[in-house]
Amino acid sequence: MSAPWAGPGAGGPAAGHRRLAVGEVAGDRRRAWPWRRTGLAVLAALALALPFALPPYRLFQATLVLVYAVALLGLDLVVGHSGQISLSHGAFFGVGAYTAAVMIAKLGLPYPLTLPAAALVTYGLGLAAGLPALRLRGLYLAMVTFAVAVVVPPLLKRFPAVTGGAMGLPVPTPRAPFLDDDQWLYLLVLAVTVVAFAGVRNLTGSRAGRALTAIRENPAAAEVLGMRPATHMTSAFAWSAMYAGAAGALYTWTVGFVSPDSFTLSLSVTLLAGAVIGGLATLAGPLLGALVVMAVPAVAQELSPAAPGIVSGLLIVLVVQAAPTGLAGLLRRAAWSLAGRRA
Amino acid sequence: MAALLEVDRLTMRFGGVTALSGVGLAVREGELVGLIGPNGAGKSTLFDCLTRRCTPQEGSMRLDGEDLAGLPAHQVAHRGVARTFQNTGLFPGLSVRENVMAGAHRHGRAGFWSAALGRAAAEERRLRGVADELLDRFGLAAYADHPAAGVPYGMAKRIEIARALAARPRLLLLDEPAGGLAPGEVPAFADLIGRIHRERGIAIIVVEHHMEFVLALCGRIVCFERGRKIADGPAAAVRHDPAVVAACLGVVS
Repeated sequence: MSAPWAGPGAGGPAAGHRRLAVGEVAGDRRRAWPWRRTGLAVLAALALALPFALPPYRLFQATLVLVYAVALLGLDLVVGHSGQISLSHGAFFGVGAYTAAVMIAKLGLPYPLTLPAAALVTYGLGLAAGLPALRLRGLYLAMVTFAVAVVVPPLLKRFPAVTGGAMGLPVPTPRAPFLDDDQWLYLLVLAVTVVAFAGVRNLTGSRAGRALTAIRENPAAAEVLGMRPATHMTSAFAWSAMYAGAAGALYTWTVGFVSPDSFTLSLSVTLLAGAVIGGLATLAGPLLGALVVMAVPAVAQELSPAAPGIVSGLLIVLVVQAAPTGLAGLLRRAAWSLAGRRA
Repeated sequence: MAALLEVDRLTMRFGGVTALSGVGLAVREGELVGLIGPNGAGKSTLFDCLTRRCTPQEGSMRLDGEDLAGLPAHQVAHRGVARTFQNTGLFPGLSVRENVMAGAHRHGRAGFWSAALGRAAAEERRLRGVADELLDRFGLAAYADHPAAGVPYGMAKRIEIARALAARPRLLLLDEPAGGLAPGEVPAFADLIGRIHRERGIAIIVVEHHMEFVLALCGRIVCFERGRKIADGPAAAVRHDPAVVAACLGVVS
């Protein structure tokens, strides 16, 4: 059917209009990656082969990368998709980790229960902390989340009988019914990660996800279309906290030890850096960001104990300046130029 | 026939500036009204009041008898009012299709939980169908997956109208829809708006400086000047009204 509105420049490319390369700007929904299926298949094969190829310590690191990826996936709902700043995700991560730790070490509950429990607790917490989002946005919301990040670690130290106080709390890690313990744990965390990614993928490709982006970009126009900014923002914040909390429970399973000093403001800042460097509002971003969260301290620590913070900071500046779409955007453009065309 | 929209003695002041001063306007179901007037006459302010982006100090606005002033902005959409913005209000981070799908937001139900659990696929297909039909109508189908960021102004205007129509409004408020069009494109575009108006039977108020467009499209024209209504009637009469000519037509022969 020919376009019924057939003024000049209606059907074909409009005058003066340049088609942008895929991945050049945010919100590009043309087929995002070349060789998408092949790429996913390779990624899946790689993920499944890792536990049988890596030595135990490397496998432990790979498991942690997945744990951080889940946390970043959640953080991205607030930072990437909603365009707000959260400094409290290290604290949510910690609350999730402690929920799991106390349930296993103090109450003797089986570890699989701790995942939904941690998710539920942090969802509620996120809802409570996100309610200010009904009135507050931007800097003010950032201040509320800052307060959460500052309050949580001392609170964890406050009740040593339950939380182990400043000394932390050792937690028995999951035993494998078959395979080695570390291989089992990796596969378990991998399964949770896959479910987490599928959830966010479904969410962002739906009416609710679209509303989040719409509200981020033009709240006035979004409201005129019947969207409720405060409601969507609060839900996004609660979901985001829930992901961080679930990641915290996975962290406890993996590391087998929790200490209040692991979940300070600096973890929140590191996560925020990981989200930005990985690439906001993409699915690849959290995974790439998790690699950065894992790798930067390990590499930079060799230079000086203060180096990780400096390196993270410099990386943020560099990414924001040179590649606002983050590593995910860079990778996507590289993949497209390898594939030999601009879509 | 009872009026769909009844605006009565509406007054809107911003500090010391009176943008609207005791304006009255009635629009019947399915009527197409052209709203003209010089810059600062209060045309866009009227739209802002109707969509609850600002709250008038005096007067009333009733849609089907219900007072709009008591509703929050997002509720106005659910009563069937949609609008476009003078300087376009697209979502640049969404694709062209997603922008239009966002317009159909009020016709979907999926929330966070059902979406994340994968229960929203059927609804998503339905909204996508609505959007694709409109994109086709406006000659935008080729750009469906293109990011809305950086599209030319005239195209942005069309995307925005498609988005507003996706909401299936009863009252559509178009703020300078012909802005950014090349002069040659105007008659065809007026024709398209006219056809959509006839097919859908929606009431439309269109603000436009482009007199050719307004005269081609609207049987009734309302003219504002400095927050007051100075003329309201059949296009042929209003365009020759001395007050209107003095206020805004001037150069049009």
